[in-house]
Amino acid sequence: MHLIKLNAIGSTNSYLKHLNATESIADYTAVIAENQTEGRGQMGTIWNVENSKNLTFSVFKDLSEFQFESAFYISMVAALSVYRTLDLFSIPKLNIKWPNDILSENKKICGILIENVIKQNTVNASVIGIGLNVNQNNFDNLPQASSLKLVTGKTYDLNELAITIINQLKEYFLLLSDNKLNVIKNEYESYLFRKNKPSTFKDAEGVMFSGFIKGVSETGNLQVLLEDEILKEFDMKTITLLY
Amino acid sequence: MDIKEIQNLIKFVAKSGASEVKLEMDDIKITIKTGSDSDTTIVHQVPAQMPQQVIAAPAAETPAAPAAASEPGAPAASDDSKYITIKSPIIGTFYRKPSPDKPLFVEVGQTIAEGDVLCIIEAMKLFNEIESEVSGKIVKILVDDSSPVEFDQPLFLVDPS
Repeated sequence: MHLIKLNAIGSTNSYLKHLNATESIADYTAVIAENQTEGRGQMGTIWNVENSKNLTFSVFKDLSEFQFESAFYISMVAALSVYRTLDLFSIPKLNIKWPNDILSENKKICGILIENVIKQNTVNASVIGIGLNVNQNNFDNLPQASSLKLVTGKTYDLNELAITIINQLKEYFLLLSDNKLNVIKNEYESYLFRKNKPSTFKDAEGVMFSGFIKGVSETGNLQVLLEDEILKEFDMKTITLLY
Repeated sequence: MDIKEIQNLIKFVAKSGASEVKLEMDDIKITIKTGSDSDTTIVHQVPAQMPQQVIAAPAAETPAAPAAASEPGAPAASDDSKYITIKSPIIGTFYRKPSPDKPLFVEVGQTIAEGDVLCIIEAMKLFNEIESEVSGKIVKILVDDSSPVEFDQPLFLVDPS
């Protein structure tokens, strides 16, 4: 296992992508940041962490030999690897909030940001960035954020968590390379937050509506059962789950 | 040629007392009329929608400025055929920058090599960096930053020569 540890880094994803562009790097090479200063969430949002208390790292995965229909499987594999790791560490009430946030007791404890390199119209490599709130106690102004320590009261070893997540990634990517797509998708759907529960959503125009989350499509759209037994698919941009 | 240069040119022509000035260079053709019977100043920049400094417009296609200006789309369309179109491999949102505070990946007129990152297409929180499969010069960027794109939608025109 190639682990690169850095005291301070802008973004571990950017560092790995740069490394990949300049030299050939081994599969599952990981970069762990002691202190990430320019962490990123979705386009334009930031991922801020207290120094040394949380796990912020990125993993490189070569996908040039992989054949899969949809890049969303990478997202599912990443979410499942974190989920399984946290389950092994006995973190209670875990869920995957579509598309790839991990919740414990209904609060977000992990965010995942995946960047793919596309060559000749297929995903050539993936850089999986994982931000896991571990030993941080305070989340001022972030009522929906939590950490492993806040949930269980225990302090966790960051390296141990990182190594377990990487090992889980290896197992799930093995399933993907064996084309066990249904196994991945079924497991992912079984952990979905608010699955089969009446939930409220807001669409792009701000209009609220209710439905039941049933699953995801191959491409990652959320499938929601609406009134009159209508199953409708929603893109990430068009729907927000209220909780 | 930018707006400022054109403005200066108009001022210069107006002061000179000439009633009409035609100017042709590379892909730009400008006609400035300062008629004594009207105060209007007409400026044609042809072809207006083409990126500048990139295409040397064939002289035969621009016999007279007003005529060419009336149908600016025609020469552009015939020119596009020699360019390579880079299309979107997936549905998603097109981004020209790695993040809002970072510089653009590529700009019109820039020379690119095979393997250079041209843009990001984000789909379902997956950020997909699109690498170029060709080398050449960016002639045109067909999609605005942060706008949705369809599968196979043309994104860039590249001059491979």
